[in-house]
Amino acid sequence: MKFLCVLCDQPMKLIEMAPPDRGALSIVYECPECAHRIAMLTNPLETQVVTSLGVQIGPGQGDISKCPFSGMVQEMTGGAAATPAGEKPAVVWTDAAIERLQRIPDFVRPMARSGIEKYAQDKGLAEIDEAVLDTAKDFFGM
Amino acid sequence: MKTYHDIAGDGGSDVIGQVVAKRSKIAESLAGVRHLVAIGSGKGGVGKSTLTMQLAEAFRARDKQVAILDADLNGPTQARLGGLRSAPVMPGPRGLVPPKTASGIGVVSMGGLFPESEAVDFASVSSGDSYVWRATREFSAFGDLLAGVGWGTLDFLLVDLPPGAERTFQYAEYLGAAAAFVMITIPSDVSRGVVSRSIAALRKTPNRMLGYIENMSGYYCDGCDDVRPLFAAPATIVLDVPRLGAVPFDPELAAACDRGAPLVDRNRPAVAAVGAIAEEISRLLEV
Repeated sequence: MKFLCVLCDQPMKLIEMAPPDRGALSIVYECPECAHRIAMLTNPLETQVVTSLGVQIGPGQGDISKCPFSGMVQEMTGGAAATPAGEKPAVVWTDAAIERLQRIPDFVRPMARSGIEKYAQDKGLAEIDEAVLDTAKDFFGM
Repeated sequence: MKTYHDIAGDGGSDVIGQVVAKRSKIAESLAGVRHLVAIGSGKGGVGKSTLTMQLAEAFRARDKQVAILDADLNGPTQARLGGLRSAPVMPGPRGLVPPKTASGIGVVSMGGLFPESEAVDFASVSSGDSYVWRATREFSAFGDLLAGVGWGTLDFLLVDLPPGAERTFQYAEYLGAAAAFVMITIPSDVSRGVVSRSIAALRKTPNRMLGYIENMSGYYCDGCDDVRPLFAAPATIVLDVPRLGAVPFDPELAAACDRGAPLVDRNRPAVAAVGAIAEEISRLLEV
């Protein structure tokens, strides 16, 4: 979908997207010529149909989850997918290990993360790097 | 006044760009796969999943590298068939490491990720309208699995398709022309009619049709060591594609499926038949 400023005959630019509100999005566009702004307001069904393609809506900051099974994952991991704000994580992930985690489908990341963190804690490790991931893979016979 | 096609790009989210990027990731992930073989039917309950695992086992027994992707997100069975329902989820250097069966078949199945007591539930901001978007969401999740797994170097990646003639066609479009198809039927006109419809749909695609397998083609009686008829009358509908072979129903195979251990005794007619089909597929694909 594209937006055109009829007066200026110019395509409008996406400026910002407000956080989702009960499944509805507010996406603000501006004409680069006359600075006129409009907002596209999606209903929940429209939001759902587009995000079902597995894409992010907005200029890269959209916080609509791409994870199709986030409810199930949260339930299964007991909400252990992320460390609560303000609490120090029991184990720290190196950037390279996080990069490796981000290569797997996002709906299995919380399971992978919690399983590896449990493995690291059982082994008394404070940091998870690529070597730990390789060792864990061997440990589980994979 | 400008029209849609006069304006480059989209409304700012680059939705098409994101979809194209995922297709590139899928191609990259499958770069080491020699043959993508989709096992479909259109009809449910004819033994697609069982024969997929048995075929994989037959390929492994012939020193082929093989993995299975369970595309049936709603009724996944491959994790159970491979004895991998509690396998850990591990990130490798090139994506998710597929858990392997005892004989070394990589298996990626939703059944290994979520307990069988849980319905596959997609997060949604639009309750009550899932019929509008669910199929799209499922293909998106399927694409994530194709792209996010470190498949490595394989002779065969077998894709166990869900039932539905239209779904079979949609998977052909999603997998692209490189995917070859094997269809499964049982010797009844009810089944053959649906499979015939799926084959007709696949003719509209560039995908190669390797042929069909007739499953439950008689049953193997252990007591009398003989294959007896299972259906009262032979099917009359002719499938206009090559017949790759026929596999008798074997109660021991059904029990092995429940145990999560493929049947490997080559003296049993079902195992011997699947072995011959694996060799025929290898011959057709020049592996």
